[in-house]
Amino acid sequence: MNLLRTEFRKIFPYRTFWIILAVYVLLLLLILYTSSSIVINNKALGDETFQFPGLWKRLTYVAHFFNLLLGILVIVLVTDEYSFRTIRQQVIDGLSRAEVVLAKFYVVLALAVFSTVFLLMLGFYFGFVYSSDKSFQAMFSQIDYLPYYFVQAVAYMTLAMLFAFIVRKSGLAIIAFIAYTKIVEPIIHYNLPDQIDKYFPMKALDSLTPMPGQDLFGQLTSPIEQLSPAMATLPSLVYTGLFLLLTYGILKLRDL
Amino acid sequence: MAIVLSIDNLSKKYGSLKAVDNLSLQVEEGSIYGLLGPNGSGKTTTLGMVLDVIRPTGGNFSWFGNGINKATKQRVGAILETPNFYPYLTAKRNLQIIADTKGADHSNIAKMLDLVGLGTRSNTMFKGFSLGMKQRLALAAAMLNDPEVLVLDEPTNGLDPQGIAEVRDLILRIADQGKTIILASHLLDEVEKVCTHVAVLRTGKLVTNGPVGTILSAQEQLIVSAEELAPVLQLLERLPYITRFAREKDYVVVTLQEGYSSTDLNRDMFAQGIVLSQLVARRKSLEKQFLEIIKS
Repeated sequence: MNLLRTEFRKIFPYRTFWIILAVYVLLLLLILYTSSSIVINNKALGDETFQFPGLWKRLTYVAHFFNLLLGILVIVLVTDEYSFRTIRQQVIDGLSRAEVVLAKFYVVLALAVFSTVFLLMLGFYFGFVYSSDKSFQAMFSQIDYLPYYFVQAVAYMTLAMLFAFIVRKSGLAIIAFIAYTKIVEPIIHYNLPDQIDKYFPMKALDSLTPMPGQDLFGQLTSPIEQLSPAMATLPSLVYTGLFLLLTYGILKLRDL
Repeated sequence: MAIVLSIDNLSKKYGSLKAVDNLSLQVEEGSIYGLLGPNGSGKTTTLGMVLDVIRPTGGNFSWFGNGINKATKQRVGAILETPNFYPYLTAKRNLQIIADTKGADHSNIAKMLDLVGLGTRSNTMFKGFSLGMKQRLALAAAMLNDPEVLVLDEPTNGLDPQGIAEVRDLILRIADQGKTIILASHLLDEVEKVCTHVAVLRTGKLVTNGPVGTILSAQEQLIVSAEELAPVLQLLERLPYITRFAREKDYVVVTLQEGYSSTDLNRDMFAQGIVLSQLVARRKSLEKQFLEIIKS
């Protein structure tokens, strides 16, 4: 935990960190606020969207798009250590390579805790304002989407961390990260049957926050085979571990 | 004397380029050990390897008889190449991070900032520092947990004459406390002024090493003058340890064989009843010696 305290010493006075985090918070608020005030057929969409307990599924689905910002934030924090050459200095001063990876993983965990707690507060706020059913049962029956979201955010940011340690330059790392998650893997999915590609990293991670109303959607078109959030948890955790090991391996093999 | 750092056949290859080639040397406790060589001779690569940031291709090294680990790292304070800090953090906050990593007492921070003359700038952001201030902050960082060994890579690089003098003075003051200092430099003058021992590197190979006195000043030239030069010249002909001498306008330039000094010459002159009016020892230009060493 001392590692995390030291990371906080670096991060808290860092303006770039707060700007990216503020963009994340504001965009998420904006999209939720906008969607609540859209009126369709004389009915405010907010009344639909923010009903307990379905709210948690919709909220985490919306939030999962913004993981990209968290990933970029992690990439910036890691590549900074290379451009300032402070990673070198810290290893000289006493950190092992495992501790270097661990320190950044703690930051990933802290960010995931932050975003999950933020979603919890958003959920309660919008739920209390719009939901007609405010019973204990309704509020908490589907709150397990939050821990799923947490697992997803951690895995996603750990992948971003891996890209940052491989590429070492912020711009290139961000491009590589987006290219892999949004282009390369989807192309691979396209060429493989669902039974296999549902276990691929991005697809398994996305399964943790399934699209609301997908069952209905699947009946209209061809059904998409994907893991349930509960089934996707273990593969996601395994991937997180794998990303960490790869990061460590890269640090171990390369000069700093 | 205990051996602080022992390097045994250390090598680093980048493709076909041998940055460091079978380097072996030992640094004794309490010495100021200079790694001297032109740019690209492998000084920084060598230090990078013993500091755990560059993987050696071959060979071994040990600190205090052990491999490099957290415990040995805490006994060594080091700066490699440029001062490396977070530009957006103040001097104090940067040192807090380093104190965390080194397990140093945070009360040392103010003390060290004062020592390097940055006490009044502790709340200035690193990016606002001049190069000299950055170098001094790096020295403060390296000394933060009062290590037994300091490793400094070109500590006066880019400093103005006053800054150079300050840093050298600081190094000598630290060495006076009995600490071992390993100093990489391409400046002969610096190594000669500061170090007790020197290893000369060229294209990754060790050219020569030993105490500074024997490596860098093997030959002395003497300038001799007297009221009457004729008897002086006659005697110089006969003295066995004179390598050569040449008469200039009103003085004679004499080169002695190794192992002899101006004292010997003075004594022999006096014994023959010749009183010298001037006897000055002049070292052969260090630059010339250095170039000879790295060419041979």
